[in-house]
Amino acid sequence: MSTVPHSKKRVCYYYDSDIGNYYYGQGHPMKPHRIRMTHNLLLNYGLYRKMEIYRPHKATQDEMTKFHSDEYIRFLRSIRPDNMNEYSKQMQRFNVGEDCPVFDGLYEFCQLSAGGSVASAVKLNKQAAEICINWGGGLHHAKKSEASGFCYVNDIVLGILELLKYHQRVLYIDIDVHHGDGVEEAFFTTDRVMTASFHKYGEYFPGTGDLRDIGAGKGKYYAVNVPLRDGMDDESYESIFVPIMTKVMETFQPSAVILQCGADSLTGDRLGCFNLTVKGHGKCVEFVKKYNLPFMVLGGGGYTIRNVSRCWTYETSVALGVEIANELPYNDYFEYFGPDFKLHISPSNMTNLNTTDYLDKVKSRLFENLRMLPHAPGVQVQPIPEDGIKMDIDDQDGAVEDDDNKDERLPQSIKDKRIMGDNEFSDSEDEGPQGDGRKNRESFKNPRKKQKTDGKAEIDGVKEEKNSSEEKTSETSNQTEKKEENGTATKKEESNEPLTCET
Amino acid sequence: MANNNSTHNKMYSESTYRVGDYVYFETSSSSPYQIRRIEELNKTPSGNVEAKVMCFYRRRDLPTPLVQLADKHQMATAEDSDSPVAMKLKKMWLKTPVSEEQAAQAVLDPAIDKVFSEAEENTSALEEEQRNNANSNGTDKSELSNKQKHQMKHRELFLSRQVETLPATHIRGKCSVTLLNEEESLLSYLNKDDTFFYCLVFDPTQKTLLADKGEIRVGSRYQTELQHLLKDDETDGRKIEELETLIWTPHHSLTDRKIDQFLVVSRSVGTFARALDCSSSVKQPSLHMSAAAASRDITLFHAMDTLHKHNYSIETAMCSLVPSSGPVLCRDEMEEWSASEANLFEEALDKYGKDFNDIRNDFLPWKTLKNIVEYYYMWKTTDRYVQQKRVKAVEAESKLKQVYIPNYTKPSPALITNNSKNNLLNGTANGNNDILALTGNKPCESCSSSSSANWYTWGPSHLTCRLCQTCWNYWKKYGGLKTAASRLAENDVEALKKRPVETLEDEEKVTQAHRQSSNKCTYVNCGKEFKLKAHLARHYAQAHGIAIRSNSPRPIMKTRSAFYLQTTVTTKLSRKLCRHVIKSKKAARQPSYAVSLTAVKNEFAIAITKVNITDIKSFLKYKKKDRGSVTLIANRLGNPATTGCEWLKLTPKDMMPKPEKVAFPKPPKGPDGSLIYERIPNKATPEPEKFVIPNTIGCTIITPSNIGMPQSLPNLPASVTATPISAPLPPSGKRRAYELNGLDPAVAPPPTKRPNKDPMPSFRPSPEQYAAMIEAAQAAGQPLPRTHMNGKPKIAQMSRSGSGRKQVISWMDAPDDYYFRPTENNKRSRRNLSVTELRRLARRPWRKTSVNNNFSNNTSTPEGPQVVILD
Repeated sequence: MSTVPHSKKRVCYYYDSDIGNYYYGQGHPMKPHRIRMTHNLLLNYGLYRKMEIYRPHKATQDEMTKFHSDEYIRFLRSIRPDNMNEYSKQMQRFNVGEDCPVFDGLYEFCQLSAGGSVASAVKLNKQAAEICINWGGGLHHAKKSEASGFCYVNDIVLGILELLKYHQRVLYIDIDVHHGDGVEEAFFTTDRVMTASFHKYGEYFPGTGDLRDIGAGKGKYYAVNVPLRDGMDDESYESIFVPIMTKVMETFQPSAVILQCGADSLTGDRLGCFNLTVKGHGKCVEFVKKYNLPFMVLGGGGYTIRNVSRCWTYETSVALGVEIANELPYNDYFEYFGPDFKLHISPSNMTNLNTTDYLDKVKSRLFENLRMLPHAPGVQVQPIPEDGIKMDIDDQDGAVEDDDNKDERLPQSIKDKRIMGDNEFSDSEDEGPQGDGRKNRESFKNPRKKQKTDGKAEIDGVKEEKNSSEEKTSETSNQTEKKEENGTATKKEESNEPLTCET
Repeated sequence: MANNNSTHNKMYSESTYRVGDYVYFETSSSSPYQIRRIEELNKTPSGNVEAKVMCFYRRRDLPTPLVQLADKHQMATAEDSDSPVAMKLKKMWLKTPVSEEQAAQAVLDPAIDKVFSEAEENTSALEEEQRNNANSNGTDKSELSNKQKHQMKHRELFLSRQVETLPATHIRGKCSVTLLNEEESLLSYLNKDDTFFYCLVFDPTQKTLLADKGEIRVGSRYQTELQHLLKDDETDGRKIEELETLIWTPHHSLTDRKIDQFLVVSRSVGTFARALDCSSSVKQPSLHMSAAAASRDITLFHAMDTLHKHNYSIETAMCSLVPSSGPVLCRDEMEEWSASEANLFEEALDKYGKDFNDIRNDFLPWKTLKNIVEYYYMWKTTDRYVQQKRVKAVEAESKLKQVYIPNYTKPSPALITNNSKNNLLNGTANGNNDILALTGNKPCESCSSSSSANWYTWGPSHLTCRLCQTCWNYWKKYGGLKTAASRLAENDVEALKKRPVETLEDEEKVTQAHRQSSNKCTYVNCGKEFKLKAHLARHYAQAHGIAIRSNSPRPIMKTRSAFYLQTTVTTKLSRKLCRHVIKSKKAARQPSYAVSLTAVKNEFAIAITKVNITDIKSFLKYKKKDRGSVTLIANRLGNPATTGCEWLKLTPKDMMPKPEKVAFPKPPKGPDGSLIYERIPNKATPEPEKFVIPNTIGCTIITPSNIGMPQSLPNLPASVTATPISAPLPPSGKRRAYELNGLDPAVAPPPTKRPNKDPMPSFRPSPEQYAAMIEAAQAAGQPLPRTHMNGKPKIAQMSRSGSGRKQVISWMDAPDDYYFRPTENNKRSRRNLSVTELRRLARRPWRKTSVNNNFSNNTSTPEGPQVVILD
């Protein structure tokens, strides 16, 4: 049972019931309604009751100007469809009008989207949750003082800035079909935030995201761009996402991760040109979740709204670690999901222009870049905290190539043993505090520790117990100290093991 | 078997072309294929398929100076991704002289020139590298390197933003075009058939090349100020309570089963509430429908909220569902909207499309924009939407997703055949025979081989060159010869360059025409512009009622399209000669009146013999009527200043007679200048106090007193959605005018159910009856029958707002549909009229006749002449 703890997480979900009613305008592909469709699916799938549901506050001007320029936010705040004419000059300057139209409640919409992401970040900072979900966020194109690509306020940047208060290094991953240029630009020159974007490149919005864009100044090598071509399917996507992200995790060692789950990389998207299914898309969430880091899951693009809500529903279930049926439950928008009314979608027969050769080339170039990071091999790195299910991605170099088995399904019989029934009330660690103090507090506070106990030395395990009992008495004990202690302990252990290709 | 199938499928998929595919197009048999990407596949009215395609240009299609630029660029990319040339190209537009003359002197930007000369020095390095590549392939060094370099140029394309339309039957196969990634070796393209790459974008109008690349900007104006890591003694000053409100938590003692049970209970309560609520029971006459309505998500969300608010105690939560005022009823927009509102919405949607702001302003001003948006997305799940969808389907009908084009097997006209008969049949005998005679046994111009199954004429005709099958295929696909060694190699470039440039210019014109005819509405005084043609089409259909097929201006709706009947001489004559058969006046009045063609023909045949030629001439002579000059008329009509009549001028708004009582007073203005509309009843507000409706008087449905419940409601849980059944009365004690109708609210006992919403009430009272009804209603405190709004029936009226735009009056003000039920008297007086008189009356309803007067005096219809028959 010691391997179970991390499969069920404390998940917080941010939603405002108004968000679905904002309307970008006739013919505009961006439809906030998809967030409400997701919400209704979550309710009827019974996922709603398994997580903490919050209504986010409306982000204030002060909060937004942490990143955005004052004038820009002031402009967003004052512009309305009925006074647009007075602002034509500013509209041009801030790129508001065409792709980013002025609509009723524009500012409120931005406030809610940003409010959810900021609240998520604070929640993670306070260690009051392990995973925070804000499908209303993820508006990754917004620039410091410019709207772009349907995005006005960059909630992601605001969220990351909040996380940086408590985290030395934050990783941002973007699986939207479009390049996450707004976030990349905001953190282009810093080494504390690594941005990794997987996107269609070439004759495509926003035109950035070349393989050669790697960051500048201090931030050189801290922007990872994976340019892809039309027709990416699940298999190809995994074949590039997993090795690259494994390497990134290994070398960058973030202490918090933000994943932008733009659903326009799904097959059949109105604007996208990839061929991913909901499962393939959801695997990215699954992958990041395994690292047991404070994890923020955000929305983003997605313009075939029935598939967007399918995808985000599924990804919520992945975050919760709950399996849901392929048959969609009845809900207010059931008719949208015809004719099959299933959760999962099948890929189209479009040609995949990403040859293995191409992907390999891109991969090896990115590995080269990642090797330039100060944490790169040669220095013995701390192992990544391990998931309950043991993965084969230790520091072994070969692991990058033969990671196929990692996602292989375990036999149902074994999995059944690991899943805690929802009606089981004994011996579970995620019970509320009204229990008898069985709650395993350190499970998310300091995941590194856990990994050591299940994996390695017995002696350490004893030591750990002492530590955890200490922690129970004084909750906010000096974590950093302990981390260091763990770190050195780990190093000691690992030094016995044969070193692989590094050095 | 399975194998067979799969090969068949493969073949099928090879000949199936989809939007987004890169394809070869054959526009001329002698020139290489053109490479295009399919953007749209459209079915023309004639049943052909047209492809809207994006153009890719070959190197040979580019003006010479640009080719030089491209050369440098390719070199730079091939050799080093960070080379100065590549960087430069990335960042700037490369401008070259536009005219041919200037092109000869091709003065490049000196800055770039300098970079080039630097790059030149590295060329040897490139060759070195290529040699190495060749080496690794285990083939001859230098020769292959040159050949490769030559062939590589055939694989490079230039993207253009130019779009053209070509018939899909000219597609000659698929290829693939990708943006060159600097990590890829160019060899990977050479080794695979039908693969091309591009790095630069060519603008045929400006004659420029540029790199298709955005840029991440660096500077304090673009990057964020970094948040420093907080020290141990620092706090972030964040209070989590200010950032979020908990709506639900999984940490409670309830089991899943218990929650499910509670959900069922709340749905049952909702069903019961609907049974008690009159307006609901009208809409949902059956129990099933009530139950379905009570199962909508809004009830479930409310149930979950209730549970949370009552601390996950099923018992207290359950009690709160049935407060003393009656069971809680949650209704979403879908249920909230009345049938007439729904109709208005659909009408509005027809008119404005999804411009919800306009819809709100002109049709549904008492709804908020959010109401409308929410309703719209729910409305899309209904059957009514299916109808709308059909309109869209017509629009999309001509848009194809894929098209199957069997492999093209017809021989090319350039094929040299020995069969002269064939040649004659082809009608190209002359040219080919000559060539045949001249070429004799000339080897292939490209590979010098002398044996091939087929030969093709190639190059300028006086040189009489020919190509073997494989080289011909190569030429068609890649636009060049396999080796640069051909004696025509240089000539070839020169000679062939001329042509493409010419065609290019033609194409330019096309594109410009394309641009000019951008998607702008041509309707007078509209001129809206649209991004997509489809949007324009929808705009036409919805705003102006003209439906246009996506690619042809031919309207699909017959009713609106004008037609011109061109009459033949015979027709014209027959109109005069067979007047008594055709009865043109009657036919004009009664378009459905059938004119017997055969009778006309017979009559004509007889009559034509009787008239002489001069008569015929006089018949055919067009007698001009003097109506004044068209310009005069147009001026008179189009010039608003010349409107002479005083009575035609609009009364200024402030001079308008004010009604004694304003049925719908303008709501108060908010601080931002916008009108504040009342909350729609039954649409709950988040503040609990607004829920409490102690004033049950004037309520149109069963009141608590009726079922023996106390008058006031307990504090209901705050909820976004729920309202108790007594909610049709607007919260905050304000009442809508229509609910008052001059009645004393204090004495209003529970009314009966609202009258049926049937648009045609079968009962129409006489004035006496009506007065009696009013009295009775007043005595009983019932609301007045809806057919008598404000005590008198209304006649349709259009109001004009300040902008002069016609505005549809609100549905409450709108007249009810009238049904004229004739009395015995009416019927009798009608019988007294002759058919002609009746018809005349019908055509001219305003004309007073003696009969009409008598008849209206006799009538007992309450409205007398006022009756308006709308249906």
